[in-house]
Amino acid sequence: MIRFTSKKGQTFLIVGMTLLFAMILCGFAFASGGEGAAEGHDQMLNLFYRILNFTLLVIILFVVVKKTSMLRFFGERRAEIKEKLEALTKERQTAESRSRELEKKLAEFEIQKKEILEQFRAEGAKEKARIISEARERAAQLISQVDHTIEREIQGATERLKQEVVEMAAQRAEEIISKGIKDSDQDHLVNEFIKSVEKLH
Amino acid sequence: MTGSKISKRYAKALLSLGQEDGNYAAYGENLKEFAGLCADNPEFSKVIGNPVFSVDDRKKVLNAVLEKSSFADYVKNLLRLLLDQNRIGGIEDVSANYTRLTDEISNIIRADIITARPLKDEAMGKLDAVLAKITSKTVKTNVEEDESLIGGLVVKIGDLVLDGSVRAQLEGLKESLKRGEYN
Repeated sequence: MIRFTSKKGQTFLIVGMTLLFAMILCGFAFASGGEGAAEGHDQMLNLFYRILNFTLLVIILFVVVKKTSMLRFFGERRAEIKEKLEALTKERQTAESRSRELEKKLAEFEIQKKEILEQFRAEGAKEKARIISEARERAAQLISQVDHTIEREIQGATERLKQEVVEMAAQRAEEIISKGIKDSDQDHLVNEFIKSVEKLH
Repeated sequence: MTGSKISKRYAKALLSLGQEDGNYAAYGENLKEFAGLCADNPEFSKVIGNPVFSVDDRKKVLNAVLEKSSFADYVKNLLRLLLDQNRIGGIEDVSANYTRLTDEISNIIRADIITARPLKDEAMGKLDAVLAKITSKTVKTNVEEDESLIGGLVVKIGDLVLDGSVRAQLEGLKESLKRGEYN
């Protein structure tokens, strides 16, 4: 079996097949015309023109295709598309791989995030407990200090009040004694003084 | 302090002379009289003690006064010396020191008695006796009245203070009450 792998072979194949197909069609047309010779002649002529027209069309197409290198263009385009397709396949594979890695990292990050959050929560709870403990301790100290201050203030006020009362009592006693003292009292005081001085000896 | 020491030296010097001739008591009286004169006549005291005037002028004034006085010569000379040394202003100190020194020689002690009311003679006699007894010296008393004592009396002998006043007893009672000793 003959294979037309080259471009030239393919071209010849197309042209040959076209001519063969035209001759077959002419044969069918000739065979069908038998009864009316004039009418058949016109039909044959018409068929001939058509075949000729078709052949010319094929030739023109062949020339145009050959001259404009459309086959090469489409071949290159095909190869280009194939390369692009391969590249895109590779990119897709790379992207998928990257996606899997990212998903894996994301999962790791999620785990780390949970761990960090748990750690922060634990530290936060510990710090909260410490702050509350310190605040309670400080509050207890303040209350104790306030109690002592109140106690001191009460003692001070009591002491001041006592001093004032004593001062007033002494002043009042002095006034009463000053008014009530007599010469006999003075004599008694002097005698008592002399007796107490005698005791010193 | 320094002035007092110097005054004491002058007093001692005069006393030694007085002890030699036996007139130290009279010299003490002379000094006391001159100190009293200065205290009673501040203008005279200012003139003889003011260094703005010359020593000669001041000495003339002093001599004029001394000539009319019956002070002993030693006393006059001491006063002139004090003026020469610009220490005549300290005559009261000299006199007081001289009195103290003569008191020591004569075994005399002076007591200041401050009383709320006048003391009766009997009480005064008892007081002199008891003070002489505790000091073993002859006591010369100086009595003053102070109504703020309310009652009783205070005796001061040198640094010793014997307070038998009602005011002191009230103060003591007041302090005891403040300290809460009677709670």
